[in-house]
Amino acid sequence: MDVRSPISRTEWASSFFYVRKSAWLLGMLIAVSVALSGCLTEDDLSLEQRSHQLASELMCPVCDGQTIDGSNAQISQDMRAKVDELLISGKTNSEIKDYFVVRYGEEILAAPSRSGFNMLAWIAPIVIVAGALAIALWTIRNMRRSTDQLVASTEQSTQSIDEFLEQVDRDLGGPSPRSTENTEDMKD
Amino acid sequence: MADLGLMSVLLGLALSAYAATASVVGVKKRMPELLVSSSRSLHMTTLVTVVASLALITAFVQNDFAIKYVSDHSNTVMDRAFVWVAFYAGNQGSLLFILLVLVVSSSLSIWLAPKRLARSMPWTIAILGATQFFYFFVLAFYASPFELNNVVPVDGRGINPLLTHPGMFSHPPLLMGGLITITIPFAFASGALIAGNYGDDWIDVARVTSIISWGVLGTGMLLGAWWAYTILGWGGYWAWDPIENVALMPWLVMTAFIHSIMVQKRRGMFRMWNIAMLNIGFVLAQLGMFINRGGPVVSVHSFASSTLGVIFLSFMMLSLVFAFALFLWRMPELKSDRAMESFMSREASFLINNFLFLAVMAVTLWGVLFPLFSDLARDVSVSVSAPYFDRANGPILLGIVLMMGIGPLLPWRKSSARSLKQWFVWPTIVGILTIIVLVLLGVKRPVAILSFGVVAFVAAAILEEWWRGTVSRHRAGDNWALAWWRLVNGNRPRHGGYIVHISILMLGLGIIGTNFYQQRTDGALGLGESLVIDNYRVEYVSNGDASRSDRIAQWAEMSVFNIERDDYIEEFEFAEAQGADGFTIKDSSLRPNDEYIGQIEPWHGFYLDFNMASVRSGIRSTIAEDLYVIPRDFLADGRISLAVSINPLAWWLWASGPFFVIGTMVALWPQPSVERRKMPTSSKEVGN
Repeated sequence: MDVRSPISRTEWASSFFYVRKSAWLLGMLIAVSVALSGCLTEDDLSLEQRSHQLASELMCPVCDGQTIDGSNAQISQDMRAKVDELLISGKTNSEIKDYFVVRYGEEILAAPSRSGFNMLAWIAPIVIVAGALAIALWTIRNMRRSTDQLVASTEQSTQSIDEFLEQVDRDLGGPSPRSTENTEDMKD
Repeated sequence: MADLGLMSVLLGLALSAYAATASVVGVKKRMPELLVSSSRSLHMTTLVTVVASLALITAFVQNDFAIKYVSDHSNTVMDRAFVWVAFYAGNQGSLLFILLVLVVSSSLSIWLAPKRLARSMPWTIAILGATQFFYFFVLAFYASPFELNNVVPVDGRGINPLLTHPGMFSHPPLLMGGLITITIPFAFASGALIAGNYGDDWIDVARVTSIISWGVLGTGMLLGAWWAYTILGWGGYWAWDPIENVALMPWLVMTAFIHSIMVQKRRGMFRMWNIAMLNIGFVLAQLGMFINRGGPVVSVHSFASSTLGVIFLSFMMLSLVFAFALFLWRMPELKSDRAMESFMSREASFLINNFLFLAVMAVTLWGVLFPLFSDLARDVSVSVSAPYFDRANGPILLGIVLMMGIGPLLPWRKSSARSLKQWFVWPTIVGILTIIVLVLLGVKRPVAILSFGVVAFVAAAILEEWWRGTVSRHRAGDNWALAWWRLVNGNRPRHGGYIVHISILMLGLGIIGTNFYQQRTDGALGLGESLVIDNYRVEYVSNGDASRSDRIAQWAEMSVFNIERDDYIEEFEFAEAQGADGFTIKDSSLRPNDEYIGQIEPWHGFYLDFNMASVRSGIRSTIAEDLYVIPRDFLADGRISLAVSINPLAWWLWASGPFFVIGTMVALWPQPSVERRKMPTSSKEVGN
């Protein structure tokens, strides 16, 4: 076993602190931007932008899997015209969507509504991501615990920049003083 | 030709069955000659499949309309160059093509596989043989491309018009090839598991074959996106359609796999995990085949729908059960050599990245299947399309991009605060500065700004490492280019990976730009009239007829001008008062600051036999933005109805392609020495 200087407690603690700070920063950035994007309402968009947005949220009833925005079927053209008409008459986005749901059923919406049974569609991704991250972190922690029991590992391979550059030399197999180490590796 | 083709398929059916059986019997009864013959018969299946494929191609070339598949997918006016496309244009032919890729890649991989895999090779051959058998079986009894017409037609129906595009020479074969070749690493891994070959002998073969399969699949998807953007005139490149999703899901899992396999290669960890990822990838590829062949979800890809659904579903369930039964059986043996040492290590970050990839996959699968659940649970049909996937997957994908910057900078095992600071200070500064600058510039859409910040962070992280490595080599006497090349060459898997990461960042730029900042307007133009949007004026100059016997087609010629808003201020204000982003003008005479920048020629065709419109968009592209003109229709009154958009950063989507391919090839390029060159501190433990 090749043994190097053990990682110092303080150094480890401060690295953890550093990470935690960055995580906080990142979390705040995300929170702020989500909050800001929440402020972006229908009023900020022109009627035409809203028309395209709505068109991309309504399915074409006769074509498989296309929105009325992407399809050129007659019914899509008619529906786009209807969207414009309703927009000009001052209807909100959700009123317009409801108008089509009443006539064509829920299938007309390109994404499920956020109510009732359809909430499942929206909750599942959050559960999946939270679950995946929780399992990942739990696994890493578990694998770490077993380290303490298996090998009381005291080695350290913090790759500082100097070591990285050494590694570059090694990868290149250049005429570095470490060539002895290389031949040793080759024997494995 | 039909007889020759059918005979070959039946022969292949027998040979693949023999190869699978002989392998198993040979191992159990210890009969080496049986093993040799099974391996040879697996090569023979390649021969007969090539013969069958040539028979079909010959039939196309000779316009042999006695064969139903030929008369359904070609006609006498079809350009001969499209025979290759017609070969896989329909259900039966595409299955034959898939089989062709499978047999050729099986043969190559067992021929090139290293000798030390000899112990598990019979099992690998058995799995490959069994998979081939399934396809031969389907081709022989359920979807024969050599079925004859009752009445021989005078001319064929012709090829699907959507397929007559240069992109179609490569997009479908790459996609099908990428999906089916996941079988190869799966067969090697499972073979090693059955044989009890728990060491890491199989991982090099599995890594190389899965990177090939992953690269092919990725390139195929990118080409498909490009095709949708330029020809289909859907205005978009990725619709989160079920068929696109089922190709994306195995790709995501394989992306995770080619990262985590490196951990096994370097550190002897994640053994169970890697096997599980390959299993999931393989089963998802089967799911893709199933949904493609008459699955229960509607899709915009009308290609190859049939009643084969049940058969493919059965095969998928069978592979699922087989893969995970095997996994559970051998799980106790699949221990890691070493344990995780820290959260702040590359192995830990790779594990998190793997889970994020799985999460995107699971969310996508959930979206694909949700309409079925809704139908079953409450008898109400719902649609799950792009608006859902954008919202649900967008944040996870952003998280993956962020990990792409963090993971590679973390050392194996654990990191100290000092090294973290050294490596992360600059990328973090660059990322935050990008966000600040964009905010100061008054750019809208906070989510997009955050995403740009993340992209800048990751780019800075990669460039930082390249910069430091290159400077060091440069000091040692190389010139800059050579220094960088030597750096990349010194560790190709790592630096090839970085090149791919850069292509993903470029893709990211394009996705952010087009999703958040697209501007659009619709309008109808008569000859000589113009449509204005933002700083562009599009003038309808002339049109022409391009009809042929099978289609009514027209192209339009349009001049594109850069304009100053001030010249058109009255019109802009009038349009904005009405809530419109663009407007049309009758008088196209030049205004003071108009600057001619080019011609575009959108094209619109309607195919009578297929009752299908096909559109080619007019695109004027720069690295900053595309002006994108979809001709929706030529109207009866002589006007043309247009959907015009400005797609910011769309150029970057397609520019990423070459980087993706080059990076993949760099990572793949054989480098025998580096495999043996383990991490210096762990070299002694790793040797087997």
